[in-house]
Amino acid sequence: MTEEIRETLPLMDFDRELSLDELLGGINRKKLFDALSNLLGMPFCICTTKGDPVIGAREVSMGFRLPLRAEMEPVGYLETPTDLADKTRSAVTLIELLLHSGARYLMASTLHLHAVKDDYDKLQKKYVALMESENRYKDLAENLEQRVSEQVKTIEATQLQLYQAEKMASVGQLAAGVAHEINNPIGFIQSNLVTAQSYVNDFSELTKQVEAGTKVDNMQGFLKEKDMAFVLEDFQVLLTESIDGARRVSAIVKDLKGFSNIDRGEEEVVNVNEIIQSVCNISLPQINKNAELTLVLVTLPLTRCRPGHLGQVFLNILLNAAKAIKEKGKISVESLLKDDRIVVRISDTGSGISEENMKRMFDPFFTTADVGDGTGLGLTVCRDIVKAHGGEIEVESTPGKGTSFSIVLPIIS
Amino acid sequence: MSDVDEDTNRLVLKLVFYGPALSGKTTNLTRLHDLLQPELKGEMMVLETKNDRTLFFDMLPLGITAPSGLLIKLKLFTVPGQVAHDSTRKAVLSRADGIIFVADSQSNQSINNAESFENLAENISRVGLDLDTLPLVVQFNKRDLPNVLTEAEIMGRWSKMPWPVLFASALEGQGVIETFRELLIKIYQTIDSKIGLEKSHGLNQNQFISGVLGEAGEHD
Repeated sequence: MTEEIRETLPLMDFDRELSLDELLGGINRKKLFDALSNLLGMPFCICTTKGDPVIGAREVSMGFRLPLRAEMEPVGYLETPTDLADKTRSAVTLIELLLHSGARYLMASTLHLHAVKDDYDKLQKKYVALMESENRYKDLAENLEQRVSEQVKTIEATQLQLYQAEKMASVGQLAAGVAHEINNPIGFIQSNLVTAQSYVNDFSELTKQVEAGTKVDNMQGFLKEKDMAFVLEDFQVLLTESIDGARRVSAIVKDLKGFSNIDRGEEEVVNVNEIIQSVCNISLPQINKNAELTLVLVTLPLTRCRPGHLGQVFLNILLNAAKAIKEKGKISVESLLKDDRIVVRISDTGSGISEENMKRMFDPFFTTADVGDGTGLGLTVCRDIVKAHGGEIEVESTPGKGTSFSIVLPIIS
Repeated sequence: MSDVDEDTNRLVLKLVFYGPALSGKTTNLTRLHDLLQPELKGEMMVLETKNDRTLFFDMLPLGITAPSGLLIKLKLFTVPGQVAHDSTRKAVLSRADGIIFVADSQSNQSINNAESFENLAENISRVGLDLDTLPLVVQFNKRDLPNVLTEAEIMGRWSKMPWPVLFASALEGQGVIETFRELLIKIYQTIDSKIGLEKSHGLNQNQFISGVLGEAGEHD
């Protein structure tokens, strides 16, 4: 479209010298001819300075002519057969007025076209510049989005790692204590078995003597020599002790099992009390340095949950409670039923939580522990797990007196 | 720069009155129309809006004939001063042979003057002319008004510039001819060095100036 306009309208200079033909361009020449014919009452011709007729026809009889001036100098002539004085001059004046008017219009309109074209070109340039700038910003915006989403991905991945690490951290903490708990019975079971082995040797010696038909006196001497009465008695004790020890190991392993599948966290229908019991059992060695742990459990209905996950929550809060107790204190773990919901309340007589920290305690990476001691994700993980179970965590705390966490869980049959 | 049209044996020179809105460009032209008595003087063409603001331009044609027979036409144009008409100003300015920058002497018009002059410099380069070589004269108009900067103040600002500065009161007809004469001198020198006005056409500077100014020049 714009190209077309430029092709069909070559812009002339607005201040160019205008020809007679151009100056009369907008005028109905037939009407002008008729009007001048009436005025003059004789044939006439308007011709250029070179003699080319523009209005009327040149005739040999036209021996008289007057210049027609535009601006200052003649652009043409009015030719007539005779000079009719005033009439001829009036005609010249009229034509010159028309020429002046024509010049005004032509100059103004051409100048207007120049100005419009110039404005249009300016707009075009601005438009192009705007488009370029828009594209730049578009690119930037697109890249920005991509870069931000990459950053977000990196941060999310890091957070996920931290989150997973936090899940495992409390289990890791337990490992040392649990190892000790298992090592102890295993130790005495081992030593008992070594002793038992030597007792069995004595019995096999006795068996050989019986088979060989050794005299009763000799055998009695052997029994006395080996103090077989004590061996028998001690053997019984050793076995009883070892069975107890093995039961203890088995119990610890059973409790630990709840934590072994933290990541899989499969749903099971369980008694929450059992989870509490397990958690208390395995964390006891770490807790009872400073704290006296009491358990008050009521009979609870079975509920569908992820025991590994809930164990994680209880353990986390229990260990927090232990940390909150600087010297001597008490920790109580209760289970109760309230409004058809299971409530597990873990209370301590520790240092408590300030109002300021209460607001942020569940925020990711918020921690009051020294750098390196805590990720600040522990309670975040707890909250997420409890939420995933459709429950909630309520906290009451009085600085200096202690804290009480209530984990409220719906009963899902 | 204009060239001699061999066909019609004439040279057309375009002189432009530039400056901020309402600085008196049209008044300058009207006074010249009244005062100048050259060999040829046409009707003044005025294109203004209702409120006396120039819409496209004003134009005053003057002419003298050199002894060689060369017709020298001078077309004096004004531009619309209002900021919005920049494209029109630029179009009027194209192919100019000389410029009179009409500034407003009133002390509150300094910024408008400066902005308009900057606009002139910009448009001169946009239409392919050269500010360093183009004949240019600066006129501080409206000396008859109160609250005008003193001549010393104005010269303090403008004397470092390479252009002659003149003072005028166009409404009272003072300084208008003088400004115009200053521009004619510069234009004559430029044209003479280009086409040899004196050598080839027998027209020296004084003849050129008195020819254009007519009797007005003699009284001055």
